[in-house]
Amino acid sequence: MTEKNRRIAAFYLMISPWFLIFLFLGLFPLLYGLYLSFTNYYGFNMQDLDTVGWHNYRLVFTDTDAMYALGRTLYYTAVTVPLSTAIALGLALLLNRHIPGGGVYRTIFYLPSLVPVISTILMWKIIFSSNGGVLNAILGLFGIEPINWFGYDYATTSLIIMSLWGAGGGILINLAGLKGIPRDLYEAASIDGAGVFQNFRRITLPLMTPIIFFNVLMGIIGSLQVYLQPILLNGSELLARPIQPNYMYVVHAFQQIFASQRFAYGMALLWVLFVVILALSIVVFITSKYWVYYETDQER
Amino acid sequence: MKARATWRSTPGNVVIYALILICSAIFLFPMYLAIVNSLTAWYSPPTIVPTGFRWENFAYATTLIAFWRFMRNSVILCLISLATATFTSGLVGYAFARIQAPGRNVLFMIVLSTMMLPGIVTQIPTYILFYKIGFIDTYWPWILGGIGGNAFFIFLYRQFFSAIPKELEEAARIDGCSIFRTYWSIFVPLSFPVVATVAVMNFQNTWGDVITPFMYLRQDHYPLATALSMISYQANGSKQIISQVSIAAGIIFMIPVLVTFFLGQRYVVEGIVTTGVKG
Repeated sequence: MTEKNRRIAAFYLMISPWFLIFLFLGLFPLLYGLYLSFTNYYGFNMQDLDTVGWHNYRLVFTDTDAMYALGRTLYYTAVTVPLSTAIALGLALLLNRHIPGGGVYRTIFYLPSLVPVISTILMWKIIFSSNGGVLNAILGLFGIEPINWFGYDYATTSLIIMSLWGAGGGILINLAGLKGIPRDLYEAASIDGAGVFQNFRRITLPLMTPIIFFNVLMGIIGSLQVYLQPILLNGSELLARPIQPNYMYVVHAFQQIFASQRFAYGMALLWVLFVVILALSIVVFITSKYWVYYETDQER
Repeated sequence: MKARATWRSTPGNVVIYALILICSAIFLFPMYLAIVNSLTAWYSPPTIVPTGFRWENFAYATTLIAFWRFMRNSVILCLISLATATFTSGLVGYAFARIQAPGRNVLFMIVLSTMMLPGIVTQIPTYILFYKIGFIDTYWPWILGGIGGNAFFIFLYRQFFSAIPKELEEAARIDGCSIFRTYWSIFVPLSFPVVATVAVMNFQNTWGDVITPFMYLRQDHYPLATALSMISYQANGSKQIISQVSIAAGIIFMIPVLVTFFLGQRYVVEGIVTTGVKG
């Protein structure tokens, strides 16, 4: 009994650094932020805060900038997440064949996702530059007129292309998943005369769905919070406003908070995003029942 | 693992190999362009083929702004984070993996759910909190954040420690080792792969983090990541940004990240793979 109690005490002692900091820097700020979103806090009135009810939230849904930004962010997410998931899966499929030097290519595909955002942006600025930019020069070889990649029509496309460069980040998990598919499944299929595409559709894809699910969920959570890339791709200052089509939701929240000191309103904006992320995650979770394949003997 | 299927140059395999080469070229191309364009003459337009080899651009990258001071700040933040988060995450992960206690599963669910929580929702209230306590322009945000560990690292450590056979622990217990002794003398020496993984990832996160230092530190104390996103390279009296030197700085900035990845690659790949599959 004492031995058991000692172990319990040791458990709580060992997790206490995490737990205390979680209370102090996780749970408390979360609820404090929620509280602030119902006040009129603007940076200097901490002493006499008024609660304003749902005012800030009503403001969010009537703020045309916020709604526009939310739309752009959902668009960016809807394009980026499926494409990058597909690219990461495609690259993993290519490498899943005992290619000579496979490790080198795996590193090449994975590397861009490691490059810090700042370096990535500096690199892609040269590619998209309209003043003799590289992408335009290449497109010129195919007789395509120069495109203003930072301009109104293509700014979001540029942002998406730049994000997709890092799509190889998912390749390691995909490769591990592919290795986990039993070989005899393919052998049995080939006896039945199945081709490459049938194998992919009937074996690979269903067995990879748990990993695809993980990638999609993480992709959605990350993409909805995008802000550094749109700000810095066009400007060179953290509080700069990106060009209109790249005015993403979190950019708007940062503008409200840091440029206009509208803390309470900014918190309401961020809580709306939080709820959107939560809702989308739940939708993905619930629908996963229909498209994610789980082995029946899960309790291994 | 050892038995490698031999690769034969069937038409299908040749097509796949060609596709791999094309994709590799596409993924490497931006890096190539960065290097080529960091070496051209100032203010020259972007180019695909090298038009010069002005290595002095790299020297200018470190002299036109207070580069070394910003780098020193980066190193300080990374050291704080490495010394704290790597250590406490291991302790917490060990407790979750090996010690039975009431409430353990609920608490671990909380750890996992903080991984899904968008950081931005807590960042601003934390900023207000730290501002009121007087933690602005101090290292306390990094020290406290580090002591709290990181949910993903805790998860990595837990996965790793869960896989270690029970017999080891029981032998130690029969010998009368306390739980902390057992952890310290049996589990820690075995955990090099996961420590390496966590250290590399921790370094990458802290090194590349732009926004936390932007919120908590004054400009003199910015690390390179924040400095490079706030300060542009300009010659005396000119407003025009010298993109060649900016890119050179961007290249220097990413070298430590790539080097640490290559040093820890074996372990990092393994770490990501086990969590992704079992998670």
